[in-house]
Amino acid sequence: MHGLVTHGIEGGKTGRRRSRAVWIGLAPEPRSFRMIETQAPAPEFSALIVAIATRADREAFARLFEHFGPRVKSYMLRLGAGPDHAEELAQETLLSVWRKARYYDPAKAAASTWIFTIARNLRIDRLRRERHPDRLDDPADQPDGPELPDASTLTAERQAKVAAAMAALPTEQAEVIRLSFFSDKPHSEIAGDLGLPLGTVKSRVRLAMARLRALLDELA
Amino acid sequence: MTALPQHHPSHALIIEYAAGSMASGRGLVMAAHLAACPACREEARLMNAAGGALLEGLEPTPMKSDALAAVMARIEQVEPEPSPPAPGQDDWINVPREVLLAAARHKRWAAPGVWVAPISHDRTTGAKAYLLRVAPGMAVPHHGHRGVEITCVLKGAFIDREQSYGPGDFAEVDEDVEHRPHVTNASECVCLISADAPLIALDWVGKLFQPFVRI
Repeated sequence: MHGLVTHGIEGGKTGRRRSRAVWIGLAPEPRSFRMIETQAPAPEFSALIVAIATRADREAFARLFEHFGPRVKSYMLRLGAGPDHAEELAQETLLSVWRKARYYDPAKAAASTWIFTIARNLRIDRLRRERHPDRLDDPADQPDGPELPDASTLTAERQAKVAAAMAALPTEQAEVIRLSFFSDKPHSEIAGDLGLPLGTVKSRVRLAMARLRALLDELA
Repeated sequence: MTALPQHHPSHALIIEYAAGSMASGRGLVMAAHLAACPACREEARLMNAAGGALLEGLEPTPMKSDALAAVMARIEQVEPEPSPPAPGQDDWINVPREVLLAAARHKRWAAPGVWVAPISHDRTTGAKAYLLRVAPGMAVPHHGHRGVEITCVLKGAFIDREQSYGPGDFAEVDEDVEHRPHVTNASECVCLISADAPLIALDWVGKLFQPFVRI
């Protein structure tokens, strides 16, 4: 099936790639944030989701699958899923990408952000069903998260800026953000792991978010 | 809804919500506030984007060789039917469906003017999420807290330590807070609450009713 996947998406984007290379230079030191060098052209991924929504484009889906499936699998592994479970959750996430494509609004979220929220919600739903098999509701009752209509937007362009801004965060702030997303722990436990008072972790989160905002405004 | 919320969750809570690492009961309270609050929604969106950037930056893990074929084979299947809508509450701010279901199915009168509707109880941590309705003008008995308690007002308003909390407003209290919030006279007040542990009743009224209220 992999023969279906083409790499045309990578073509003709050298200018964009070069500008990302400049952003790498913004980072104070090389760290685990590999997002910058690996980032593929985000607007094209958005177009692929739209192609699924408008004409059930299987080739577009195959491209998205090839790029995001292995990353969603890594995400699930990071959060403690076993290899088979991570594989299954990644497949389910991409199946949801196909099924929910008509709800995707490229003006509201970049492809990576939208797929992240689907993966996140799918994982939460699974955990909740495992932990609470006697819940009083059915699985379709879960809230969809905060993706509600709103005037302000985070487009694919802005997504690239978020990635660049994150690479430019001070190490200790970047660390709490990364742990927030990849440790599946509340901040009280993250603080314990780092041997820091909870107030310090919370203030790093606050500073990181303020800095992301400021960097976004600078890059705008 | 007329006014925007004036009281908001911390960045730490919003990022826990965006990261999906928040316990489900707390997540419901956050979802209710976010639905009512464009400013916090924008914060959550920024944090979602941070999550998207982190996902994009992960080292890919190869999937099984038949993964794409397996998913392609499933995309033709009929999707599950959406659930029927839960009974609505026109005079509340928007809440997740399971909150409405709890109100419809599990409401019980716990004391004069007070009903409680349990939503979830995490047996590992002891955390509970529930709806609390208090009649107009009524005060909640003086009480303290073990751990953190977060609240979103769904309807009406209450006054706590000289601050007013109306629809969509978010309140967070911890062990350091002992208080006696009271509902304004205009209407009943319905709150969605997630608490790490049961309240500590500090007066005879609370001690009398706590066994019945079970919060």
